[in-house]
This record gives sequence, structure tokens and C-alpha cells, in this order.
Amino acid sequence: MAGNNRPGAGPAVAERGIVSSHDRRRASVRGSLGVLQGGLLVTLVLAGLGPILWLAKAAVTPTQDTLRQPLGLFPNGIDWANLTTAWGRAEIDHYFVNTLILAVGAWFFQLLVATTGGYVLSVLRPRYGNLIFGLVLATLFVPAVVLLVPLYLTILDVPLLHISLLNTFWAVWLPMGASAFNVLLVKRFFDGLPREVFEAARVDGAGPFRLLWSVVLPMSKPILGVVSVFAVIAAWKDYLWPLLVLPDPDNQPLSVRLPAIAPYLELDVFLAALAISTVLPIALFLAFQRLFLSGAGLGGAVKG
Amino acid sequence: MTTLSSPLRTTTAAAPPSSSGPRRRARRTPRDWLRDGGLSTLVIALPMILVFGVFSWFPIGRALVMSVQQTNLISTPEFVGLDNFVFVLQDPLLGKAVANTLWFAVLALVFGYPLPLAAAVLMSEVRRMRGLFSALAYLPVVVPPVVAVLLWKFFYDASPTGVFNTIAGWVGLGPFPWLQDASSAMPSLVLEATWAAAGGTVIIYLAALVGVRTELYEAAEVDGAGVWRKIWHVTLPQLRGVLFITLILQVIGTSQVFLEPFLFTGGGPNNATLTILMLIYDYAFGSSLGGNYGAATALSLMLAGVLAVLSAIYFRVTRPWSS
Amino acid sequence: MKSAQKRAAFALVGVLSLAGTLTACGSSSDAADEPEGPVTIEVSIDAGLEQAAIDAFDERIAQFEEANPDIQVETKEFTWSGTTFAAELAGGTLPDVFPIPFTDGRALIERGQIADVSELVAELPYADQFNPTIAAAGQDAEGNMWAVPIAAYNQGLHYNRALFEEAGLDPDNPPATWDEVREAAKAISDKTGQAGYAHMTQSNTGGWILTTETYALGGRMTEGEGEETTATVDNDATVAALEMLREMRWEDNSMGSSFLYDWGTINQDFAAGKIGMYVSGGANYPNLFTQNQMNPDEYGVTVLPLEGDDAGTLGGGTLAAVSSAASEAEQAAAVKWIDFYYISKLTDQEQAVAEAEVAAETDQPVGAPALPIFDRETYEQQQAWIKDLVNVPLENFAPMTNQMFDQPVIPEPAVATQDVYAALDPVVQAVLTDENADIDALLADAQTQVQGLLDRS
Repeated sequence: MAGNNRPGAGPAVAERGIVSSHDRRRASVRGSLGVLQGGLLVTLVLAGLGPILWLAKAAVTPTQDTLRQPLGLFPNGIDWANLTTAWGRAEIDHYFVNTLILAVGAWFFQLLVATTGGYVLSVLRPRYGNLIFGLVLATLFVPAVVLLVPLYLTILDVPLLHISLLNTFWAVWLPMGASAFNVLLVKRFFDGLPREVFEAARVDGAGPFRLLWSVVLPMSKPILGVVSVFAVIAAWKDYLWPLLVLPDPDNQPLSVRLPAIAPYLELDVFLAALAISTVLPIALFLAFQRLFLSGAGLGGAVKG
Repeated sequence: MTTLSSPLRTTTAAAPPSSSGPRRRARRTPRDWLRDGGLSTLVIALPMILVFGVFSWFPIGRALVMSVQQTNLISTPEFVGLDNFVFVLQDPLLGKAVANTLWFAVLALVFGYPLPLAAAVLMSEVRRMRGLFSALAYLPVVVPPVVAVLLWKFFYDASPTGVFNTIAGWVGLGPFPWLQDASSAMPSLVLEATWAAAGGTVIIYLAALVGVRTELYEAAEVDGAGVWRKIWHVTLPQLRGVLFITLILQVIGTSQVFLEPFLFTGGGPNNATLTILMLIYDYAFGSSLGGNYGAATALSLMLAGVLAVLSAIYFRVTRPWSS
Repeated sequence: MKSAQKRAAFALVGVLSLAGTLTACGSSSDAADEPEGPVTIEVSIDAGLEQAAIDAFDERIAQFEEANPDIQVETKEFTWSGTTFAAELAGGTLPDVFPIPFTDGRALIERGQIADVSELVAELPYADQFNPTIAAAGQDAEGNMWAVPIAAYNQGLHYNRALFEEAGLDPDNPPATWDEVREAAKAISDKTGQAGYAHMTQSNTGGWILTTETYALGGRMTEGEGEETTATVDNDATVAALEMLREMRWEDNSMGSSFLYDWGTINQDFAAGKIGMYVSGGANYPNLFTQNQMNPDEYGVTVLPLEGDDAGTLGGGTLAAVSSAASEAEQAAAVKWIDFYYISKLTDQEQAVAEAEVAAETDQPVGAPALPIFDRETYEQQQAWIKDLVNVPLENFAPMTNQMFDQPVIPEPAVATQDVYAALDPVVQAVLTDENADIDALLADAQTQVQGLLDRS
């Protein structure tokens, strides 16, 4: 992040890119740059927005119109009933709620583990802290695929308790909590908080719990926001794991249920169901655009 | 407190006198631990220890054990040495799955590597509405992957009235078989996967481009360099680090690809899109009446070995950045 | 300090209650044995049903509970899948009564993975009246019936009557030889632009249909019994079947443009009028009607053309099994449910009419013909009882019902059935998606693979 804040550099220089301000004033450069960027904008609209707009259109178009003229715009009018049929009769409402429950639970456990874990490792620092931190970091090197089968068998028979979590939401919530990436992210953030504040709070008689709840967490809203948004998005996206541990359709989220009901739904209702499933993530994105498009995007990419 | 602890202290007084002082840590008793808030700390650490212990460390250990066992969930597991590894290595489908996965990775690099870079470089030159550009580019990333695949599956309808074939028809091309042909199925999968992921890569490049040291552009301009030479000699060299990171991330990601072949083609036609993770899934959950969990974990571990090397490189490269 | 302790205590309570909930979750499954009082059993219901079908099912439950006041019935959506069965069994999430295909019955019985209810079944009045070839699917080596056959099918050639007419073909005279199938497919695809003949290829269905076509041409996929079973995948009939597919696909171009069908998606496209003909279970109609809204007037079905010595129609079916996790009382209640829901409508006039009435009131198909699990006489008797309530176009089934009793029914390969099918899926896919596929080489590969599967199991 060097270039931007060099002392002495005027704002005009700091703002510059590959094409110099001098060149920008030349008509030929401006022209070709404009054409290129215009072309990029059109491409982005067509490729990025196009399929989503098409889905929105198809969600309220009768089946036969979508099949005969996939790219026509409402040749026989709009059929709003698709949405209500998908929501009600195809029970998308039920699976939508399941997805929400999964997302909220996964969010809670990810936040719980990441904040308490980061707090212990960064602020309380017990003697076993380094050992645990090492073990947590080590899991970053183990790709998720290795855990697929043994974790599945662990869900079938949880050690010590000897119960099966199969078909319960716990089977999705708890493993999602074990995110080393989150712990690392939160610990790093806590590392950067001023120690003096903690000392002052301790002198005032605050125990470890109050220190966490009343001092550390309120100072950590940015990182909690990042972890939260990605926790919810990750839960919304998850497919293979809930497919394995939630075989009972009653408990399945949209991602698992949509492919399964595809052969039983009429095309228009199915496309409406797809559209409904997309609304919330897109709304989240629009609401928290800055978060997604800032450096946190890197985090999302890492977590895949 | 002091009155309670004093008798204990006297019993240990045989130790060399106060040179180390009363706060000597090696002499800490459970009581001291408790007094210093050790219990509270442990309670706070519990969620992390329990969740990681049960759902991460234990299964990792279990994977190592299972890879040398034969188990079917019903009877007791049996030690079989390296049989599982031998079974996997002798499976004629393994070569196919490895080749397909590599093919997916190569195609993903061809489709998904240069385009986001070009887009990001171009976008970094945008003066107005940069937010709109990046929002548009990122939008497909937030579409749930399952929805994206199911939607594209419909687009890929191979009949002349399919969505993509209709569009291709406007310019006199097609109809293409898309998913219905062994040679075009994989590129079709990668096309969708690239659509779904490219936005994230663009954002990473955009962030990196902010850090490019602009005084070098001026130096290049003094030498009379044009736009292309500036990109080639100034921009790209400074992006080397992030280019390498996205490369590794992409390879790690693509080597675990599952959703697209699973939902688009089921690994077909004729195993043309069978990937390593699909093979693991098939071992564990695909064979009728009880899976070959040993073979599945053995193959997982072999894949993990390769990925761990890549991850290690990744962390070596990123460390100077993040600290 | 005080508040810190309070919080610690609070956190501990939280963790403990979490553990408590977890345990509660685990023990809520049917582990508890209660000999006294009402028994609750969980029975499976098909996935993806229309509300009317669910209502019909609930109505039958109400009738059952009225007749058996000490049994409570709960439903659970269930779709058989061999792939997750072991896990669901180990995880205790199976319903108490669930359907399994004939292909997996033997293996489950041998491994004791379903409850041995043979003593309870033996007490049923019709226990010895099952068609012996069909009864065998649910019996162990000693002939004890662990799982009850509830439905049987023979493969049929389903066709779209509307597309037949559009192509200038006579829907009342469907193809009777494979050459006629090929001609009809070509006519349909030339005149209507839809797929003339479509083929399943995914999730083991490719192997299932290829085996069907092989049987119809007089071949077999395996020979011998038990441990002596050997693979005969590269037989002449299979070669001929694949050669026919190759010609239809690449010379006639009459197989459409989708070659990644499984059971659900091919039904969907057939019901939507995109497919002229396809081979699937003869009792497919209720699914097409209730899950895919097929127009009954457009539906037609006939028997498979049989050519060559030893040719026959592949037949299979469904067994009702009881979970091995069910307690004794639950097993008894489960067998009562099987008797009531699946069987009595076939053997008891009152029940047959009651079931048909419920179905008719809720617009479910009544009287769609199927391969009888008892003898032909019982079957025709049952059809006569519900004659007035039949709401399916029986004349559209005539090509099937007029001929099906004259055809030999051949069971599916007995050992590792699904795995054998899975090994054949890629062969079918290759022939349909690669113009230069080498049929002999593909079958030679499959032969080695299947022999390996047979040796291992």
C-alpha cells in the first residue's frame, strides 16, 4: 500500500494510474480509453448482470414462453403466480427458513469460536495458548476434502457423547465454527488493539469476561462485520456438506433442495424458485458492497 | 488469601531462598492458577478447543487411521496396511480423474487468469463509476453456486432452442452440444465456474493495483514508454506477488472442484468430467450399500499431500504481506 | 470479580445445556423400548408429491389409526438411495417402514441390515400366494420373507401419443419390433423436431436400460449363481443393442440432444412432450401424472419388442422393509402398516375400494396397470373391484395389458446389481456422445470391470 501516502506527493500524482494525466488530455488516448472502458462496461453488464436479469425475467414468464423464445421479453405477459406457487406449493418458504436457520446458527458459532478464541490467544494468552494456536494454524494446511469422510463419520458418532448429529442442524453449525481462518483474522485484529485500554479496564476491576464483552468486542465491530457477512454467505453457499449430513428433506437448505426438486417442478416454477434463492445474497451484497469489494474480498476468496 | 497460602509456602521453603521471588511461575499451584483467572480463561477457550477438537483435530487424526483400515460402519474396522492406497492407485478411474482435474485447472487458468487481470487494469483507469464497474464484476460471485449451476444447465440446453444455442444462432454458429459431448463438457463447466469466480479475482487485482508505485510510471514516461510498455514493464512486475497468490489459490480451488461436475454432468459423458473429489465422493457415498471409506480417505490424503505443499508455498508468499 | 464468576457460571450453563440438547437430539430417535401403551411408527412417503397425493396419504393414515387405535403413524419423506443407506442406518434416521428396490433386497438381508420380520409376515393370510419369482426378491436363502414385495414392474416402451399422431404414426399400433422402434423414432424426430427415442444414462440408469435392451434381444449380463456368477457383458445382444443406439444417434439423429438423463429428468422431459419414446418401468404412469403433470390423453405404453431366443422383459419391483432399529412393538406395527397400506388394496375388496375412493377423490390415478405381485387371477379380481373408480385412460394401456402376461419376465442381475449398472453407464454415454466410440473396446473394458466387481462381492 506504499504509493498512496508518500509524503510530498501531491494528490494529483497519487491519483494517477498507468495513463498519465498529460496523456489523458490527448483526444486519441481519451477516445481509445473510452472505447475500451465502454466495451468493458457493456461486457460486464451482459456477462455479469445478464444471466441474473434473465433469471428475474424467466421467474415471472410462463414455461412455454421460456422454452419457445428463451430470449423474448414477455411475449404473452407476466405470470406473477409463479413466485407464489414456488414459495408456497413448492415449499420454497420451508427451505428458505431452513437456510436462514443454518446461516444464523453458523454465523453464531463462527463468531463465538472466533471471538473467544481470538481473545484467548491474543489477550489472555495462557501458557497452552501457543500450542493451541499452532494446532489451529495447522488446520489451515489441511484442505476441506480430507475432512469430508472422517468428519462425516464423526457426525454419525460424536466422540465422548456417542450420539449422532445426522439430520440435525448441529451437524452443519458446529463444523463451520471450526474455521481457523476466522480465528486468525480476529486474533490479528485483537493484536492491533491498544493494550493500555485492557490494562486500564483490569485496574478498574474488570474480569476476563467483562473485558471481552464491554471493552474488546465494542472495539472490534469492523472485523466482526467481516466475519459475519462471510459466515452468512458461506452458509448460504454450502452444498456438499449439508447434502451429506441432512438427508431428511425436511431439514435441507435451498442449495440441497433445489437440485433435488428440479425434476418434479414445472420449469417456470423452478426458475422462480431459483430467483427467490438469489434475492437475499444479492440484497446482502448491495447493502454491504463496501465490505465485499474492499480487501475483505480476499478473505472470501481464500475461504472459497 | 495470603493466610491460606502461607502454610503451603513454608513447605516448599526448602527451595533456595527468595532469589526467584514468590512469583516464580514454575512453582504455580492449581490454586494460583485459579486465582489468576485460569479457570475463566479456560472457559473462554472452551468453545474453540471443543469445536476444533471434535470437528477438526479428531477427524484429521481419524483420517490418518482410516486410510489404513477397512470399515463399513457396521462391523469393527480392520487393519489393512497400505491396501487402500494400492486399491486407489490401481483404479483405472484414478488416472482419468487426475487428468480431468488437471484439465479443469488448465482451462480455468486459460479462461479465468488473463481476463480478470485485463479487466482490473482497465478498471483501475476508470475515473468515474469505478464502484459500478466492480459491483457488476462481483455480482455473479454472490449468486449461490447451486443456483448458478442449475441456471447455466438450462442455458446449456443442447437443442437449437436452448438459450446459448439461440444466441449462437444469431451469429450463425451452433447448435453446440455443450454438456452433452465428451470434449465440450469440461470447457462448458469451466466457463460457468469462471463466470462465477472471476469477480473475486478482479477485486483482488484491483486492490493490488492501488499499491503499484506510480513514480515508476513517470520514470518510464521519461524514457518514452507507451501504455503497453508501462503495463508490461511497470504494472505487471509489481503485481508478481499477487499474481502468484491467485495462481496458487486457483490451483488449490480447482483441484477440489466438485459442485460443477456433480450437478452438471454427474461426471459424464463417459467420465469426461469425473474429478478427483467426485471420485472420493463416489468411493465413500457412490457405491451401492455402504461405501469404501478407506479408499476415500486414502485418496483424500494423497490429494492433501499435494495441496499442503501448495498451501505452504502460499503462506510463505503471503506472510510478508499480511504482517 | 463477582460478575466475572457469574459470567463464567453462565457460560458453563450454556455449554452444559448445549450438551444436554445434543443428547436430547440423539435419544429422540426410536431407541426407547416401550412395551406398554401406544406405539408410534414412522412410515415413508414419496418425495415431491402434489398436495392432493399427500392428502390422500394422510387420509389412509387416519383410516389405519382408526382401525389400530394403539398405533400412531408419522410420515417421513424418503427416497431410496443405496449410497446413503448405510449412513442413515448407522445414524438412526431411517423411517421404520421404507421401500427398497428388488436389486438391493438380497444384499440387505444377507447382511442383516433390515429387521427380520419373517415370522410376522408368515402369519399374513396371503404369505404363500406371492408369485414365486417375485417373492424371492424379499427372501433369505432359507426362504424366509424379510421384506414384502409391494409392487412389481416389467419394463415397457412408453410413448407420447400426441407426437405419434403429429409424426403420422398410429398411436394404437405402437412399434412391435426394434426396427419399427427405430423407424418411428426417425419419423418423430424428422416431423416434430423432438427426440424420437431417448435413453437414460446417469446414476446407474444407463446400465439398467442397457440391460433391459440386452434381455429383449436375448442376452444376459451375468451367468451362474451366487459365488459362481461370471460376467457376460460383452455378449452379442448387448453389442447389437449398442449398435442400434449408435445408428439411431449418429445415422438417424433421432435421439434428440440430451444424453445425460436419469430417471427423474427423463420422466420430466417425456411429460413435457419432448420425447417420443423411451424405455422405463411399466408402472411409471402414476409418477408421470402426479409428479410431472403428464396429460393422460398423450400417454401410451406398450411391451418391449422381444427378439431372439431366450429374450424376455426385465422385471423388478419394490419391497417394503422394516428398519433394524425398530423395537419389537414397532416391528409388529410396521408389518400391520405394510399389510394395510401396500397389500390389502390388492387382496381385500373393501380395502381396495376404500383406497381407490380416496385416490379418486383427490384426483390421484386409479387403476393404472402394473405387473401383479400375486397371480393373474388376484390381479384381475382387484381390477374388477375398482372398475367404477378407474380414472386413467385404460385404452391407452391396452398395448401393454394385452400382451404383458405372454412375456417372460427376467429378474435383474442378482449380484452387485447397482454396481454392474454403474459400470455400464459410461458405455451408454460414450456411444451416445462420441461418434467414433468403439463398442467392442468399451464392452471389453466393462467386462473386466464387472468381473472384478463380482469377484469382490
